[in-house]
Amino acid sequence: MKKYTIKIVSVAAAAMLLGLTGCAANVNVAQPAGSEAPAETASAETETAPAETEAAPAEAEAEPAGGADETLNLSYQYGLSYAPAVIAQEKGLIEKAYNEATGGNLTVTWTQMSSGADINTAIAAGELDGGFMGVGPAVTGVTKGLGYKIFTNLSGQEHGMTSNDPDVNSLGDLVGSDKQIALVNTGSIQHIILAKALVENGYGAHDLDANIVAMKHPDGKAALESGSVACHLTSSPYIFSERENSDLHEIKEVADAYTVDYSFIVGIATEELHDSKPEVYAALCDGIKAGMDLINSDPEGAAAITCELDGNTPEVELDYMKKGTYNPDTNKLFEVATFMYDNEFIENAPGSYEDLVFDNVKGN
Amino acid sequence: MNRSQSGKNGFVYKLSVRIVFTLVVLGIWEYVARARLLGPRSELIFPSLESIGAAFVRNFVKGYAHLSLWNYIGNSMKLLLAGLFIGIALAFVFSGLSTVSRTFSVIYNYVVSVCDLLPGVALLPVVIVIFGVKSGVIVFLVVHAVIWPMSRNIMDGFMAVPMIYVEAGRNIGLKGASLLFKVYLPASTAYIVSGLKVGWARAWRGLISAEMIFGIASCPGIGLFINQMRTNMNNAEMYATLIVIIIIGVIVQYGILSPIEKNTVKKWGMSR
Repeated sequence: MKKYTIKIVSVAAAAMLLGLTGCAANVNVAQPAGSEAPAETASAETETAPAETEAAPAEAEAEPAGGADETLNLSYQYGLSYAPAVIAQEKGLIEKAYNEATGGNLTVTWTQMSSGADINTAIAAGELDGGFMGVGPAVTGVTKGLGYKIFTNLSGQEHGMTSNDPDVNSLGDLVGSDKQIALVNTGSIQHIILAKALVENGYGAHDLDANIVAMKHPDGKAALESGSVACHLTSSPYIFSERENSDLHEIKEVADAYTVDYSFIVGIATEELHDSKPEVYAALCDGIKAGMDLINSDPEGAAAITCELDGNTPEVELDYMKKGTYNPDTNKLFEVATFMYDNEFIENAPGSYEDLVFDNVKGN
Repeated sequence: MNRSQSGKNGFVYKLSVRIVFTLVVLGIWEYVARARLLGPRSELIFPSLESIGAAFVRNFVKGYAHLSLWNYIGNSMKLLLAGLFIGIALAFVFSGLSTVSRTFSVIYNYVVSVCDLLPGVALLPVVIVIFGVKSGVIVFLVVHAVIWPMSRNIMDGFMAVPMIYVEAGRNIGLKGASLLFKVYLPASTAYIVSGLKVGWARAWRGLISAEMIFGIASCPGIGLFINQMRTNMNNAEMYATLIVIIIIGVIVQYGILSPIEKNTVKKWGMSR
């Protein structure tokens, strides 16, 4: 009897251990292309990285031909807005840029997270060297003193709000009503877009706050289509399929408040990476820039890389991709940050544009 | 010390052990925070007790989006109580029916076993499609969290009623509903009370996780508040809110559930 119990317990324990290691392996979503080091060892390497930090740049300067081996931990989120990062990952562009500049090997570990807040927490804990997130959490992180800045713009996308309610044709029809608006979260960039549209049309920034229901993009789309909410404020690519749905109509004021010209997703890097590993930082900028160049010069090829990850056919992916803008210069970033502070979305004032971005970033 | 002697000594002993343990945990926390063991941004992710205390006050005075934390607590409690009431009532009705009808008992046992395994938040997309996005969804999830463990405990309690009690009840002419109320329910109070404890804990956790996923801004609850604080990197406020959650849990445990236990099963000598 006792023996059986021991057996069962040990089998169960073994199963749990297997499950745990399985989870751990999944955290590192992708293996960096062309690197020998398996992704699983990356976290261990991260811990040793600070020790190498001081030696590494000196070594690289001494012999640029055979540069030091380095690691880089990055995180991004789901969707087409992150396409340049996805392409840089799939084609190993950052590794390539580092190798061409220094001759050394760079191991990039990519993690996929589901919100900018998660990435902010991971950065504060010192687990990441950089990442990609919306302007909202990035400005929050910089002004909160998380020790990072924006190193590139990543993409601008279309946003918009559609409704299933024939009585709702403008923001004025919603103000003062109890009709619900689904969007990702209060304080999210979509909420800021709503506030911006309200202000630009003569209402108060928070006049529709009580109408908001916080739901992820796909849940919000389902709620809109089933009639559970009156409106859904969302971004590419969800807004495209909602626009194609003949049961829905668009509230135009919202799309005008935050067009594709505005910086939407940005790349951020820790000041530590920027200051103490300039070669790795440069490779990160160059690799992401190369990803954008590929999208702009060969959109078909770029769409072929990302379509499978986004669950689209190559044709649809290409169509959606062409509707976004992908370039390294930020646009209207400081304007949005100031708007966020003026309307109490963030607590600390952004001092100047230069406080938000590293010195290599151009734009406003 | 003989613990079964309880009385004043047992109470003092328990209380002092708990206080010492709490102080040790807080001491370790404070050391990690003050020594900045988590790197240069330690204060942001692992704030000191002092800043958590200040945040605790700030939550109630300033709150978020011009609403004090009291408003969020009020909204959550409203939904929680509605869900608990409906869930407990339904659990009694269905478990009662299953003592009366054998077919119903077989079906209901099966339903409880299946549904008890489903996490409420995983049902969220289906629930939204059925109910829309009203606060009723949160109530539904609380009902889901409480009804199955509660039913399971009530039915186990009924199963454990000695046959001799039931026969005695039948002998004095009880049957059906009167047998249920006069024999089954009083005899299984110990199980019902422990079902209440499990059901309450599940409901409380289910409520907050549902609110964290699905926030209705016109009826904002504690879960939404935690999410806001997280989004804005206000971790001290977030930890302070967790303390509020613990305090509410302790109040319910010692202010409501323990007195119920004391006045029923302990008084009747059913448990220690």
